Amino acid sequence: MSDIVFEITDLKKHYEINMGLFKKPKVVKALDNISFEVKRGEVLSIVGESGCGKSTTAKLMLKIEEPTGGEILFEGRDITTIEGDDLKEYRKKVQIIFQDPYSSLNPRWKVGQIIGEPLALNTSMSKKEIRDRVLYLMEKVGMEPDWYDRYPHQFSGGQRQRIGIARALALNPEIIVCDEPVSALDVSIQAQVLNLLLDLQEEFSLTYVFISHDLSVVEHISDRIVVMYFGEIAEQGTVEEIFDNPQHEYTQKLIGAIPVIDI
Amino acid sequence: MNIIEVKNLKTYFYSDAGVNKAVDDVSFSIPEGKTVCIVGESGSGKSISAMSIMGLIDKPGIIEGGEILLEGKDLLKLSDSGMRSVRGGEVSMIFQEPMTSLNPSYTVGYQIDESLKLHQKHLNKKERFEKVVEALELVGIPDPREKYREYPFKLSGGQRQRVMIAVAMACEPRLLIADEPTTALDVTIQAQVLELMKKLQRDKGTSMLFITHDLAVVYQIADEVVVMYRGHIVEKASAKELFADPRHPYTKALLNSIPTPGKTVRKSRLDTVDDSVDYLSFPKEIR
Ligand SMILES: Nc1ncnc2c1ncn2[C@@H]1O[C@H](COP(=O)(O)OP(=O)(O)OP(=O)(O)O)[C@@H](O)[C@H]1O
Ligand SMILES: Nc1ncnc2c1ncn2[C@@H]1O[C@H](COP(=O)(O)OP(=O)(O)OP(=O)(O)O)[C@@H](O)[C@H]1O
Ligand SMILES: [Mg+2]
Ligand SMILES: [Mg+2]
Repeated sequence: MSDIVFEITDLKKHYEINMGLFKKPKVVKALDNISFEVKRGEVLSIVGESGCGKSTTAKLMLKIEEPTGGEILFEGRDITTIEGDDLKEYRKKVQIIFQDPYSSLNPRWKVGQIIGEPLALNTSMSKKEIRDRVLYLMEKVGMEPDWYDRYPHQFSGGQRQRIGIARALALNPEIIVCDEPVSALDVSIQAQVLNLLLDLQEEFSLTYVFISHDLSVVEHISDRIVVMYFGEIAEQGTVEEIFDNPQHEYTQKLIGAIPVIDI
Repeated sequence: MNIIEVKNLKTYFYSDAGVNKAVDDVSFSIPEGKTVCIVGESGSGKSISAMSIMGLIDKPGIIEGGEILLEGKDLLKLSDSGMRSVRGGEVSMIFQEPMTSLNPSYTVGYQIDESLKLHQKHLNKKERFEKVVEALELVGIPDPREKYREYPFKLSGGQRQRVMIAVAMACEPRLLIADEPTTALDVTIQAQVLELMKKLQRDKGTSMLFITHDLAVVYQIADEVVVMYRGHIVEKASAKELFADPRHPYTKALLNSIPTPGKTVRKSRLDTVDDSVDYLSFPKEIR
């Protein structure tokens, strides 16, 4: 297996904004010519200002949306052209944890069903096996077994986020794209989830693409970092390069703005 | 003078499995122009405390007891319509999850405009438009005139959160409740938004109830900090006291689990709150 999982070249995503009748639509360049690689087994973080294109990058990598231009190679193959069984396989290998936990969970389903859905769809596991695996995953992310029969709205924000994490882990993926996975969590649960992600990474040599605005978390968990700025890449490098010796003005500003408790 | 006084609030959820005492005998108050932060573990009752003040507790949840006094007036005794006019008027709230409280079928501008229509009746249509654009600009939304016409799903997570903030601040409330308002924001924009809230506070004497898990933010903005654990307040202190001298074991464990740049070893496992400890068995530290 190659060392490089994702090779992204000159990726573009443009949206047209309708300005009303008889006016020309305006083009928003959510992503403009970004290129980076993701290596197997690493934590690659994407940071940058709100609206700079982080979630858009994630959506394109997951094939939730199609790019306007450029290329995403996964293990050497262009994902825009994969279909059929290959696409199914791709969807198993690459999972996402969404930024907004509530809107990504079906409110009419019970938690057990939400976490088990990928298993029911993609494996031949029996009901009992699915239930056991769901309970195992729930325990891993710090959920009580009796939450199995509850609905998403009955949970606090942080509890809901863990539903999404358990679901993403269900199929033993190779790559997880985490879009602000811990931003809704209190610091202790956040620590639990980060520890869990690091443990799973070691255990299953998982690869993470980690999107976060919490730079203390990013510094803690990443191997390499991509800093985005208005749809482009400002700079990329190892965690040491970015935090200990930031080159781009925006990166310097970002690191300078980390709030600290200095008592 | 206290803008809001919460006294012995109890909000419970009933189900076949029994009762979940989400908020159990919680009391705190916020003086005019001051900020109280609630911190605490996930599920400890922070949002439900806020929702109780907003009068947004639905079955199977019930407010079992207590008083919520807004400038002396008990909100728990108001009729539904009385409460509706308090909401978004004297009290407004930025919700934890923007997509659940922004209406997906209306444009961003329309939703802020609605709030202005209700609570700033002296403005005409054109003035309101300018005010909405200004509100979007203040929270750092690029191209506010264009974003006015956008639907929420076309905005990034952080942009949606800032629209919520703009909606809540537009009506210049007496009490602004902010539930994790900056979780989706990068640090530079977060700083800008916090500064904006403080400005509103300075100009109008707004009181703030601020719920966040980000202790560095608490350190920056709180006058007083309330630490919640399983429906109870376990520690209450001024921000200075709390960070310099945390007394309750739960607070200490919480402060220990943040990764601190320069101190925590990268990729090391972080300390977590020990689930096997019953933190309620320790005496409460109310200063
Ligand atoms: N509609 C509901 N039905 C039943 N239980 C509920 C409901 N809403 C909340 N709860 C429960 O009430 C408790 C307190 O929830 P709350 O949302 O206040 O937590 P929180 O402190 O805001 O947590 P977080 O930091 O994760 O947002 C939790 O145990 C939660 O499961
Ligand atoms: N469907 C869409 N139509 C039009 N514009 C869009 C659409 N989706 C996203 N955008 C725009 O693309 C830009 C990038 O959005 P994206 O969600 O990738 O940002 P982000 O970096 O994830 O920000 P955040 O940190 O706030 O979540 C934003 O300006 C957003 O308004
Ligand atoms: Mg995003
Ligand atoms: Mg909450």
